[in-house]
Amino acid sequence: MDLDPHVLHLAIRWLHVAAMATAFGGALTVLALAARPAADSATTVVGVAMRYEWMFWAAAGVLALTGIGNLAAFGAGLAAPATPWGTTLLLKLGSVLALVVVSVPRTLAVARLSVSTEAATSPLATLRDLYGVTAGAFAVILALAIWLAHG
Amino acid sequence: MASPMKLVTWSLATFHATTFVLAIVLFVYSRDALGGALGGLNTFVGLGLFIALWVTTYLTTSRALDGLDIIGSARARAGYARRAFRWGAVNGMSFLAVLGVVAIGTAVSNTSPGQVGIGILVPALFIAPFALIISAAVGATVGLIFGTIDLGLFALAGLTQDTRDTA
Repeated sequence: MDLDPHVLHLAIRWLHVAAMATAFGGALTVLALAARPAADSATTVVGVAMRYEWMFWAAAGVLALTGIGNLAAFGAGLAAPATPWGTTLLLKLGSVLALVVVSVPRTLAVARLSVSTEAATSPLATLRDLYGVTAGAFAVILALAIWLAHG
Repeated sequence: MASPMKLVTWSLATFHATTFVLAIVLFVYSRDALGGALGGLNTFVGLGLFIALWVTTYLTTSRALDGLDIIGSARARAGYARRAFRWGAVNGMSFLAVLGVVAIGTAVSNTSPGQVGIGILVPALFIAPFALIISAAVGATVGLIFGTIDLGLFALAGLTQDTRDTA
């Protein structure tokens, strides 16, 4: 039995949005925890950040997988890169690539903090900076995605 | 909580697989050739190949990092690029094997039974050794590039000191 391609592409789009919500929402959550910490909570926030990093990389893989699946749904009708839509897509792909690259040092920094929180002078300040940049990058990518969906 | 090195393995493997695919997509789209390329690919096959690349990259990255304390040991980081080169070659061959199975399976399903041996299996056996050598070379080159990028990202994360070897 053949699967209706519309159902398949709807499922791919659902996964794409769910992965984006997980990654963006998780970054905002860690940022909020690091910005307004309770007393003696540095270890707890680092623990939450560690769990987020596992989810972030799973979401990154799913976003790449389903993002290409979304583009495949256009087939030969995919707009040329010289069009305004195509230029925005190039900008979005470049932004995603940049976010993935800068996320490696963030994950490594969080892993190092988890090994020894006392080694860092202010782990919460470090986490605020790391997740502030990550959340900001996600906000830009989300804006580009919405422009592409409605452009 | 899981060990930090397991997280490092998971993040580097996913970083390698997604960056590799995204860079290709970005390059092909900038040449206005992506629509035609993706249009000719079955969606399930495309999704399956990405997952296969993700799995083989995870397994080979795990082996490349096996026993290395990237976070605490400068000596471990110094030996990482050589391992990335070697396991990149293995990853290239592993992914080729997956591609080969998919390609041969598709070809066999579209060929009359009498033609399968001479028309598909014999040419595949002839091509396989050359394809394996090329895939190993490509994989090793990509592995070396990623190994070098990873070392730069380790430094960017502040992993420049040795907290284990001198302890």
